[in-house]
Amino acid sequence: MLKVQIKQTYPMPLQIQLECLPGELHALVGPSGSGKTSTLRVIAGLMQADEGHIQCADMNWFSAAHAQVEINIPTAKRSCGFLFQQYALFPHLSALENIAISLQNAYPNTKERRVIAQQWLEKLGISALAQRIPHELSGGQQQRVALARALAREPQVLLLDEPFSAIDIPTRHALYKTLASIRKELNIPILLVTHDLKEASLLADRITVIDQGISLQTASPRVLFQKPRNSRVAQLVGINNIYTGIFSAGSLSWDGCNRILQVLDKGKIPAGQKVAWVIPQSGISVHEQAKPNSLVATVHQLSSIGQIASIQFQIRDSGVFVNWEASSAEVKRLSIQLGSEAHIEFDTKQIHIMPLRPINDPRRLQESP
Amino acid sequence: MIPLGVWCAYRLANAGSFKVWLEAGLALPLVLPPTVLGYYFLVGFGGTTVLGVPLVFSFTGILIASLIVNIPFAIQPIQRAFESIDPQIREAAKVCGLSPWQAFRLIELPLIWRGILSASALTFAHTLGEFGVVLMVGGAIPGETKTASIAIYDRVQSFDTAGAGMLSLLLLAISLIAIALSYGLFNPRYRQNQLGRP
Repeated sequence: MLKVQIKQTYPMPLQIQLECLPGELHALVGPSGSGKTSTLRVIAGLMQADEGHIQCADMNWFSAAHAQVEINIPTAKRSCGFLFQQYALFPHLSALENIAISLQNAYPNTKERRVIAQQWLEKLGISALAQRIPHELSGGQQQRVALARALAREPQVLLLDEPFSAIDIPTRHALYKTLASIRKELNIPILLVTHDLKEASLLADRITVIDQGISLQTASPRVLFQKPRNSRVAQLVGINNIYTGIFSAGSLSWDGCNRILQVLDKGKIPAGQKVAWVIPQSGISVHEQAKPNSLVATVHQLSSIGQIASIQFQIRDSGVFVNWEASSAEVKRLSIQLGSEAHIEFDTKQIHIMPLRPINDPRRLQESP
Repeated sequence: MIPLGVWCAYRLANAGSFKVWLEAGLALPLVLPPTVLGYYFLVGFGGTTVLGVPLVFSFTGILIASLIVNIPFAIQPIQRAFESIDPQIREAAKVCGLSPWQAFRLIELPLIWRGILSASALTFAHTLGEFGVVLMVGGAIPGETKTASIAIYDRVQSFDTAGAGMLSLLLLAISLIAIALSYGLFNPRYRQNQLGRP
């Protein structure tokens, strides 16, 4: 298991806490500059945190407290495979030699190294490219060589830094499959850095959302999308219907709208608490005719991209907006046009409520979703 | 000369806050008049002997003086070659488990060979044409410290223009070939492929 708890202030603030189990694919997701890559670099030992611990398979790689470093295993001695965003293949070596060089210390015999490297090339379906040097390979082929190089050392953890960002979509999907099949064979923690939420939810068992160097929430993709820890996480995972209000024993007010929603009270939030609340796309339905608890709304914005339409409704007599996505066929069926009227219904069971705390309140990070 | 250049260039490419001063110090022979260098060499090593051989007016003396004068020509192309290696390549070497020496020998050295060849060509051409420092430190002792450029000077002084012309032409040709080789090796079109930059 990989356990990471690190803190640093320079060159960028980081406060990361995560655990990745053997066989687990754990994605680090966040906007550009949020500290995802820095986290991987600290784990690999390419950067040093001010304090914290990094433990991999019962071995301490790093330990520091109060700016005093107690343990700091050099990168070369940490058993980690690192896949760089720009591949970082050695430009003067062939694909085979690029893999064989990572076995330099484990296998002193050159022939043995070449045999193992060849096996890895075969495993990744690029054995025919063994003698090619990196600039003779396509992006996807280079990525496979880099993946083989990272795995050939039989690392105890695999770190993938945005590995799919620089390759075309068909190659990306082929690499997803390769990664999925390799994952089954290896029983090691895999950390994947990506800014693509769809990619993360497709591949990862769990996702850690990072923002401004702080790990905000770790959860399975399903939990993360349905129950974000706070409004920032909700924003980062692409939930665009985020509202504020006051929660009191099952009654949820809605800032900007005079409607009170009746929701399930789990007894976790004190009465009168200021809250943020979100509703996922699946919790919103739109009708032509009024329903018992529906709200009357006007189409405020309507934009279509291909077969998907993005609609923003304004609830009547209020300043609040509800965003909704639907297929073009659905839009046609409901006769939705700019300025037209529709009836919006919320599935209140899908409303997720989060207490609003000041930014410096430590409970913001500890709240369980 | 070249191993010293590689060592200095490697240190400079990875130097910290003193880099500017180190670079300036090592590049000083480029801007100082040769007579000034020669003067300091005479003053500094006037009475010094190495294994019983005096350092001034001897072949050993001009060898050491040439080493100092030519150091920027040996260092700069190699330093540029080190600096143009993508930092991620060095990091990749680390995560592949290579020790610093293995990373240097197996990764960095093969990537800077153009810089080494270029430095060799430049140093060779410059040493061949060195005049001021050699004259100050070595004099012009035939068979020991008389270099080609001093021989040209001597022939002009003795009105042997044909001999001076032949030697000058030879030096011109050698220098041109050396410089062309050096420029050709540092052509960006070559480097792009060699260093794996997009």
